[in-house]
Amino acid sequence: MNRAKTSTLFKIVIVLYLFIIIFPFFWVAVTSLRPEAEIWGSGALQLKGAAFTTENYKLLFKTPVLNSLKNSLIISTITTIYVTFVASLCAYAIARLDFKFKKLLTVIVLVTSMFPQMIVIGPIYRVFVQLGWTNSYYISLPYSNITLPVAIFILITHFSQIPKEMEESATMDGSSKINTFFKIILPLAAPGIFTAAIIIFIGAWNEFLLSLTLNTNEAWRTATVNISFLRGQFEIFWGQVTAATVVVTIPTLIIVILFQKQIVSGITSGALKE
Amino acid sequence: MKKFLIVLLIVALLMGFTACTQTEVPEEPEAPAVADETPPEEEEPKPAEKTIINFAVQADSTPALEKIVQAFNEQSETYEVKATIMTNDSGQMHDQLLNSLSSKSGEYDVISMDVVWAGEFAGAGYLEPIDQLMMDKGWKPTDFNAGSMDSGKYKGKNYVLPYFPDLGLLYFRSDIVSAEDVAILQSGEYTFDDLIAMGEKYQGEKETKYAFVYQSKQYEGLVCNLNEFTGNWTDIEGGLNVLKQMMDKGLTPEDILNYTEGETANALLNGEAVFARNWPYVNGMLQSGEYDVKVDQVGYAPMPKGGTVGGWILGINANSQNSDGAKEFLTFVAGPGGQKINATEGSYLPGLNALLDDDEVLASNQLLTDEGFQNALANTTSRPVVPNYSEVSDQIQISAHQYLSGNSSIEDAVAGIEAALAE
Amino acid sequence: MKLSKWADKNAGYILILPAVIIIVLFSIAPIIGTLRYAFFDMQLNNQAKNDMYFESNINVALNQETITYLNYYLDIDMDSVQNKDTIAKIDEIKKDLRELELFIAEKIASSDLRAIVQVGQAEQNALLERQQSIVNKLDELYSMDDEFYSPEDTMAVASEFETSIIESNFSGVDNFTKVLKDERVHSTLTFTLIFTVISVFAELIFGLALALIMNKPFKGRSLVRTFSLIPWAIPTSVAALIWSYLYNGSSGIVSHIFTTIGLINSPASMLNSAQNALGGIIIADVWKTTPYMALLLLGGLQVIPNSLYESSALEGARSWQQFRYITLPLLKPSIFVALLFRTLDAFRILDLIYVLTGGGPGGSTESISLYAYKVMFSQTRFGYGSAIVLIMALVVGIITFIYIKALNVDLLGEKR
Repeated sequence: MNRAKTSTLFKIVIVLYLFIIIFPFFWVAVTSLRPEAEIWGSGALQLKGAAFTTENYKLLFKTPVLNSLKNSLIISTITTIYVTFVASLCAYAIARLDFKFKKLLTVIVLVTSMFPQMIVIGPIYRVFVQLGWTNSYYISLPYSNITLPVAIFILITHFSQIPKEMEESATMDGSSKINTFFKIILPLAAPGIFTAAIIIFIGAWNEFLLSLTLNTNEAWRTATVNISFLRGQFEIFWGQVTAATVVVTIPTLIIVILFQKQIVSGITSGALKE
Repeated sequence: MKKFLIVLLIVALLMGFTACTQTEVPEEPEAPAVADETPPEEEEPKPAEKTIINFAVQADSTPALEKIVQAFNEQSETYEVKATIMTNDSGQMHDQLLNSLSSKSGEYDVISMDVVWAGEFAGAGYLEPIDQLMMDKGWKPTDFNAGSMDSGKYKGKNYVLPYFPDLGLLYFRSDIVSAEDVAILQSGEYTFDDLIAMGEKYQGEKETKYAFVYQSKQYEGLVCNLNEFTGNWTDIEGGLNVLKQMMDKGLTPEDILNYTEGETANALLNGEAVFARNWPYVNGMLQSGEYDVKVDQVGYAPMPKGGTVGGWILGINANSQNSDGAKEFLTFVAGPGGQKINATEGSYLPGLNALLDDDEVLASNQLLTDEGFQNALANTTSRPVVPNYSEVSDQIQISAHQYLSGNSSIEDAVAGIEAALAE
Repeated sequence: MKLSKWADKNAGYILILPAVIIIVLFSIAPIIGTLRYAFFDMQLNNQAKNDMYFESNINVALNQETITYLNYYLDIDMDSVQNKDTIAKIDEIKKDLRELELFIAEKIASSDLRAIVQVGQAEQNALLERQQSIVNKLDELYSMDDEFYSPEDTMAVASEFETSIIESNFSGVDNFTKVLKDERVHSTLTFTLIFTVISVFAELIFGLALALIMNKPFKGRSLVRTFSLIPWAIPTSVAALIWSYLYNGSSGIVSHIFTTIGLINSPASMLNSAQNALGGIIIADVWKTTPYMALLLLGGLQVIPNSLYESSALEGARSWQQFRYITLPLLKPSIFVALLFRTLDAFRILDLIYVLTGGGPGGSTESISLYAYKVMFSQTRFGYGSAIVLIMALVVGIITFIYIKALNVDLLGEKR
């Protein structure tokens, strides 16, 4: 075996991988700091002698991008709070309690997560129109259908990992099951619930289709949809578009850096049961 | 597991069908839901007592829109117009409007539409007929631009007034093209082959890069261009051939298939192109003098087989809660006040015929007195007028773009376009 | 029985109740709704088809507008006509219009003038008869020799009477037969499948390799993991926008690099040719989801006990053999889950394409989701769009079934 050689190869692969992952962000971030005139044509490809400016950001903040970020933040937060709560209850019941139709429920949760999202959008749109709920924060409600199944699966994994003895002793003491859940299980499962909450938040933050169809008014659009409209104008101002990309990416970046461990555990536990 | 799924499916089907017979009662548009009341975005504080009229309109690169809104707001005691700027990709704007209108939302009171949407919107019951309004005002349809009015007349009722009429025309660099050729171009007595020959002759002069720029991205603009190149669909194969030839001969930019009006205007204004097919609005940009190419370096000519009628028209949302205010604003914009601002500040063609003789308008828009432009005005051609226009247009765009991008044969493209038109 | 006792006994049901309500309201009910739509010729921008109608209905508002308009035109005509006969005829028609209004008020919409009202066969026939008689009289009027304002306009207005009667738009399986014959469904479905197969395959290979690498201890491993999360965590529309900048014809660095190394003819052709655009979409998708795939597989790798490798190493197994006989079999459940999730995800791709190419050039990169979206929201054909979506769901079912059969893994993790 040639250890030195493999380890060099190994390093090269990792560096290359990191480069491929990071380069698009880097390039976009750099572009966003250059004057619009320089970005046009082949001048965009050279960094030598590039002038730097914050002009693009100044222009960007005159468009409704900040407002759309606010919408995204509010909608994602509402979604995260109620979906986490509902999913915790449900996942605990599936993981620990006995009731009829348990398997049916699990199957339904799984199946609904597999259907293409397009299948629910038409009726939801029409009902929202009839109720006058388009262009509002009510959009958080249908966001459940992309986030709830994942959250339930992540939480089932976490609840199953809590030692059974804790509940048993509580039950011995005469505590009711629901009481036990709130007083004993929830605190123990807090890290898992936190993980689920982060995954839900990211899912809601990234949602596109519902936002595109339900919140059509510029004042209610979320960031994901709003930035895709930046480009539809008479000319493409790449400086502004790249600046917008950077602005919308930053919240995600912060979350990823802060909660790296939880996210990884969420991804793996959502997919793997046991 | 399988059993459960089957049961689920059956239950679903049963529920679905028993529920079918209910008739939905489209409720009167009431006060919007709580969440609707305060749009999160607040501009500078305004006098509270004025009712807000929402105007859905495409972005205007000239100061005209702003000035019209300003002028209206200054003279109106009761209403305050707020312009909601929609995206400039007209396809996307259409979808957005359709979305809002079909939800019976009163979000927008006055709507600016591309001429090709009016039939669809009127047929769907989204627009309020304006004949009564016109009679009250003492206006006749013939007072306005005929092409615009036609496009908004559906089943005997008028639904729109012109915002500004438009037509496709050829811009050329008069400092490059010889006087002899200028005369030919302005007369309109030339063919696309002549144009290609001229393109080959002049390309590269005065640091130009391209002979000809036009719109051939896959969007509505492509249909407008095709309408001109094919002579109103009389020679589809010929028209497609001309476009392909120009690309193959390198007369156009490499990414011409991504060109919209914006790119086209840029190429002309930055001195990159000798010929450009575009709408009259570019003249406004030329007048501003902010670009490399100045107004005296450019001439105007009709397209060989006539220019496509385009432009924008204004209608009132049938579900508007401020219908009176909407009417007031509509008549202001389409009337002499608004049209004059539009013509003088934005170089738009007036939709009100009387203004074509107005000295101030004529003085501000040198296009109107230009010989080539007058010939272009006299030589126009319309896009297909069908109820399901967006489907037809979609089909034409796809067929043509596929051929131009080298992904299908000309036979398929012609057949596809013919099938779309025959529907 | 005390409440608390009852609650304790039924704790399971109580705890799942909120989730069940949400799932029923926002997943199951809409799916049923889509199923219903698919059986109707439903089109929002058509007044006679903008809902599901089994019985006949009358669009009272439109009927009323037609009456108003006819009166309006007849009044104009009244000013210009000369003959006594024509004047009498106009009066007669105006009287009929008034009666029609009364009839509507009494028999059809007694209390309020709601836009759409359901009617019985008898009322509908009576209404039809009255409307027809008015149209006939108008015909007679305009065949008279006199000066009229605009007969064509008036007749066009009168034709709206027809539109105001809404027939049942139940269309049975028509939508489905049309979908099966729709060329654009064929081409978008083919494109979606090609995209799915290539990108998921590439993601699996790269993802597996990365997972194996990340499973080894090395300096900066957690940094690599953090970076891996970024492409997955950013919104797809943002990723699409980033790539659309990198690919753009004049200033896109990736399109220029591809041109320099000869992958494509010119930077402008990156998104202008069908094949290049497909390649571009796949690269963007692989870039965005491979790290996610790697993390999923990494989770599976970490569960494999190290002792297995150690004992096999003692028996002299080479690393390739270890991979083949230990890693792969034990990783199978993870691979299955990852593959299934990714395949279904890729199959319903919408936002990446919506932003990156919009389906172009020439519709060659239109995914089936995007087509369904356009049918429903640009053309407002909800019935037909629903049928397309259901066919899509069927394909999803078939894919899942194939996976379960082919990999022989139990979906619910029940070991037998």
